[in-house]
Amino acid sequence: MSEQLPDLQSYLGGDFGPYRGWDRVNAAMIRHWCDALGDGNPIYTDGDAARAAGHGALVAPPTMMQAWTMRGYCGRFPPGSDTREAMQVLQVLEEAGYPGVVAVNCEQEYARYIEEGDDIYFRSTIESISEEKRTALGVGFFVTELSTFYNQRDQVVGTMRFRVFKYRPHQQGEDSQ
Amino acid sequence: MSFPAIDRVSSGDKLPELVIEITPKLIVGGAIASRDYQNVHHDKDAAQALGSPDIFMNILTTNGLVGRYLTDWAGPRARLGKVAIRLGAPNYPGDRMTLSGEVTAVEPASRQVELSFRGVNRLGDHVSGSAVLILAD
Repeated sequence: MSEQLPDLQSYLGGDFGPYRGWDRVNAAMIRHWCDALGDGNPIYTDGDAARAAGHGALVAPPTMMQAWTMRGYCGRFPPGSDTREAMQVLQVLEEAGYPGVVAVNCEQEYARYIEEGDDIYFRSTIESISEEKRTALGVGFFVTELSTFYNQRDQVVGTMRFRVFKYRPHQQGEDSQ
Repeated sequence: MSFPAIDRVSSGDKLPELVIEITPKLIVGGAIASRDYQNVHHDKDAAQALGSPDIFMNILTTNGLVGRYLTDWAGPRARLGKVAIRLGAPNYPGDRMTLSGEVTAVEPASRQVELSFRGVNRLGDHVSGSAVLILAD
């Protein structure tokens, strides 16, 4: 399986992006999010409440950061986005016999609140690729993508570390220890 | 509603629990609100073909529920600075997730509070992690 493995460390680093968002930050998409998730924080739906809390305008929930740059139904980023896959090492591992993938960690830090009207994009780099590891799921590699999110003034609004385990599942009867 | 003031918060304080019913409506609604159209979050046949018993909640919805849980406690004038989660057992329809949290550190000068939290369903920990909030002055 792994004897043909290419040099994974050559996929470390890189500067991928920008990956842009289809819609500017807007009250309707924020309200739909809060509606579905049951979030009644008024700073997300009432501009006066947001300003009373010290913001310049209506703000989006910080945890919604990534939603502004999702590919959406059509499955692609809008024009002006990088067409390369930041996580291309996952495809390389897939072809090398590691078909499984599971998200392990997601760590978001928020540098400033995202406001109505903002135009969000992100850039990514591959921060780490582990040695081959054995877990309860199988044998594979932990890959961490670090994405930095910006507004239209190129100010950092936040960062996200997203770590996945790309693995070959244990065969039945195989020792999983 | 009253919200915690920095001079009344101590390490070890518990947040009130929040119970979330995991319904297909919440899973699909959360996926669409986060613009995540991966089929495992809305198509049961597709999810089963990939080895899951049913559709399951996407990560953005989990993040959003954790964010809601933290600011429900801290109030609208608090600022969320960080949410770091570790993912565990999936949230499948028909389950129920109980979120709990605890203050782990307080820095009065900066009004910064660190917390740990977890969301438990019948399979175990769906999510666990840590967060940073700046409380209102």
